[in-house]
Amino acid sequence: MSASNDGNSSPRSQLASRCFEDLLDSIIVDVASECHRIARLGLDRNLEEEEEELRLSVQARVADPSSSTEANSKNVVDIFGLTHPAIADEIFECMNCGRPIVAGRFAPHLEKCMGKGRKARKVTRSSTIARTRHSRGSPVSVYAPYSNATNSNRAPNGTTGGSGEEYADYPYGVP
Amino acid sequence: MSSFSAPSTGRRRNLYAPPPCPHLADYRSNAHGLAKPFRSLQPCLRVRPLGRPEIRREPQEIPRCSPCSAADGGGCGMGPRLYACLACAAVCCPAHAPSHAEECRPGHEIAVDVDRAELFCCACGDQVYDREFDKAVVLAQIAAAAANASASCSLPESLRKRRRVDYRPWTPDPREWATMRRESSPLLLPDASDPYSAGAANTSTSSPSSPPWGLRGLNNLGNTCFMNSVLQALLHTPPLRNYFLSDRHNRFVCQQKRRRKKDGSGGSMGGDRRNPSGGLPVCLACDLDAIYSGVFSGDRTPYSPAKFLYRWWQYASKLASYEQQDAHEFFISMLDGIHENVEQDQHKPQSQGNGDCCIAHRVFSGVLRSDVTCTICGFTSTTYDPCLDISLDLDSNQNYTNVPTTKSHACNGENDLILSSQICGVSTLMGCLERFTRPERLDSDQKFFCQHCKVRQESLKQMSIRKLPLVTGFHIKRFAHSSIKKMSRKVDRYLQFPFSLDMAPYLSSSILRSRFGNRIFAFDGDDSDAAIDLASEFELFAVITHSGTIEAGHYVTYLRLSNQWYKCDDAWITHVSENIVRDSQAYMLFYVQKTLYYEASEDVSAS
Repeated sequence: MSASNDGNSSPRSQLASRCFEDLLDSIIVDVASECHRIARLGLDRNLEEEEEELRLSVQARVADPSSSTEANSKNVVDIFGLTHPAIADEIFECMNCGRPIVAGRFAPHLEKCMGKGRKARKVTRSSTIARTRHSRGSPVSVYAPYSNATNSNRAPNGTTGGSGEEYADYPYGVP
Repeated sequence: MSSFSAPSTGRRRNLYAPPPCPHLADYRSNAHGLAKPFRSLQPCLRVRPLGRPEIRREPQEIPRCSPCSAADGGGCGMGPRLYACLACAAVCCPAHAPSHAEECRPGHEIAVDVDRAELFCCACGDQVYDREFDKAVVLAQIAAAAANASASCSLPESLRKRRRVDYRPWTPDPREWATMRRESSPLLLPDASDPYSAGAANTSTSSPSSPPWGLRGLNNLGNTCFMNSVLQALLHTPPLRNYFLSDRHNRFVCQQKRRRKKDGSGGSMGGDRRNPSGGLPVCLACDLDAIYSGVFSGDRTPYSPAKFLYRWWQYASKLASYEQQDAHEFFISMLDGIHENVEQDQHKPQSQGNGDCCIAHRVFSGVLRSDVTCTICGFTSTTYDPCLDISLDLDSNQNYTNVPTTKSHACNGENDLILSSQICGVSTLMGCLERFTRPERLDSDQKFFCQHCKVRQESLKQMSIRKLPLVTGFHIKRFAHSSIKKMSRKVDRYLQFPFSLDMAPYLSSSILRSRFGNRIFAFDGDDSDAAIDLASEFELFAVITHSGTIEAGHYVTYLRLSNQWYKCDDAWITHVSENIVRDSQAYMLFYVQKTLYYEASEDVSAS
């Protein structure tokens, strides 16, 4: 600090400057002493590894700045040599009602089938009263993502279907 | 403990003392005829609450340099450091200390920094360290704290260490061999290029050309990527995977037990959470067991975890307080589900800290320590809480890493300068952990009732990890919910994370030691076993990433198997390079302990 070089050289301001310098020096020595101890006692033994990890991350980001790999991964062939449709087309029986359901539509179906979703409650009010007596579900829907994101009348990929239940519209295939 | 390895090997790190310089060694061996070295210093160690230990002959003494009468360094311009000679208690500033040592030698080389209680060798001109001295300082600090009757709660019984035992590999006896041959058949490993082929029986580990066992896509059942991503991580969590693949929770046996129990209790029990339609109580561990069987069967077509979803919704219908399910909430819910089933069955104690209750806690449960310290009197209140994972805040502001830039100057100039400038401003996992374990001043509206002062005082809070779990899960809080604006937003900021992580600096023993100035001392709670140093090293094996917005986002899991990385995007499994994983936006990170240790079982029947 070159406080003594500034214009004001009154004894008071000199004292104040020296006071400040002393405080600053004290703090610097504190840090130096603590770091010296940490280094000498080997408490920072992983510094090399940490720096290496940081360097690798920086390298990785430079090598692959865009996340374009995320976007088109659905069109690729996977490591088993398989391709898959956007909506899973495996068909199995719903374990609640016994109907055959397309895998990719199972969750929204199950939501209504089990009487969980808010929409389900509104649509089939009388039939779920008996069921909700047993279940402890509260009126707030846990499954909001499904009812918000996928309108029960429309498939996620934008095609429209009938207003009835989904399995009636998509029996054995993806539109 | 006569010999110590160099610090880099990490052996007995907590008690390592560097070899003394010749002057210190001389002082120790001569000690001027005193029974113990440094004994003259002990009554002069003064400790104030939350302050450093100082050396003062009288409590209010203001030390001055004898030759130049500088008090805290003014006149000589050498800064506020004063050294008291251990031999004659003469106080000198740094300018005059070497001449004092020179004039009065031998025996007057070692001095102590009166404000920092650090030993200094005036002949070598360097700070030196001694275990005896540090012990004296720490004992003085502890005595001062005890004067305030600080009552830290004693370690809960569940955390008391059981003795370590050697790993004994199991080999089957002839009868077991016969049973195995009779009751099992080798899994057919399909040809890598034709997943539908029957393939040849493969009793050896999978060849490098074919994909590893247990790698199988999971069908998205309708916005269920939050579930698929967590399932993929759990399916390849080594201790969990080993547990289920060793048939430790056989779903058929469990189902029989549940059926017998239900029949025994007199028919249908009506509706409750675990038994919604009066059927068999839900056991999520059984449903997970079914997924393990499916995923490790060798079949490579994507698996639909439909039954698991159904079961989980039966269990989690009570969790309707959450508007939206995200992957982390599902993870916690699932572990709780596995725990609850076991608890009901076996009436195991609730204590989750030592993980004796169920496999979920055995694998993921750790113990966090929270210290709240009164800023006025230094009284500290300590509590221990179990945790299933660690949730970390992601700073939206600049978060500088603590990589010292001094090192970069020592190496080839330009490269490292560029490197350090890129490093500054990047959020790192270790930075988040450092912030997590940093002492935090609580707001004045959160004043803590100090039992010593008997009033509410401003306090400091510090978290640390008392016990590490086998698998440490980190949850990065990327979803910021604002109750004021009634909306949530996602923090997209990149977070750097290492593939190998040493958790030692965040352990309670390390945090406690740093609170006492990093002295060489075996603190309470330090595990005395040398091998504990290795137990803090972890390896990354799964990363769950989230891309997109809160309303329309997608989860993907990256898995590390045999040091190869695979991207698990619902039904699509692809091989990816390390760089892509390092560059990804981590939401949950899973690290497993590199080395496992075995403790003597408390259960007499399990030998």
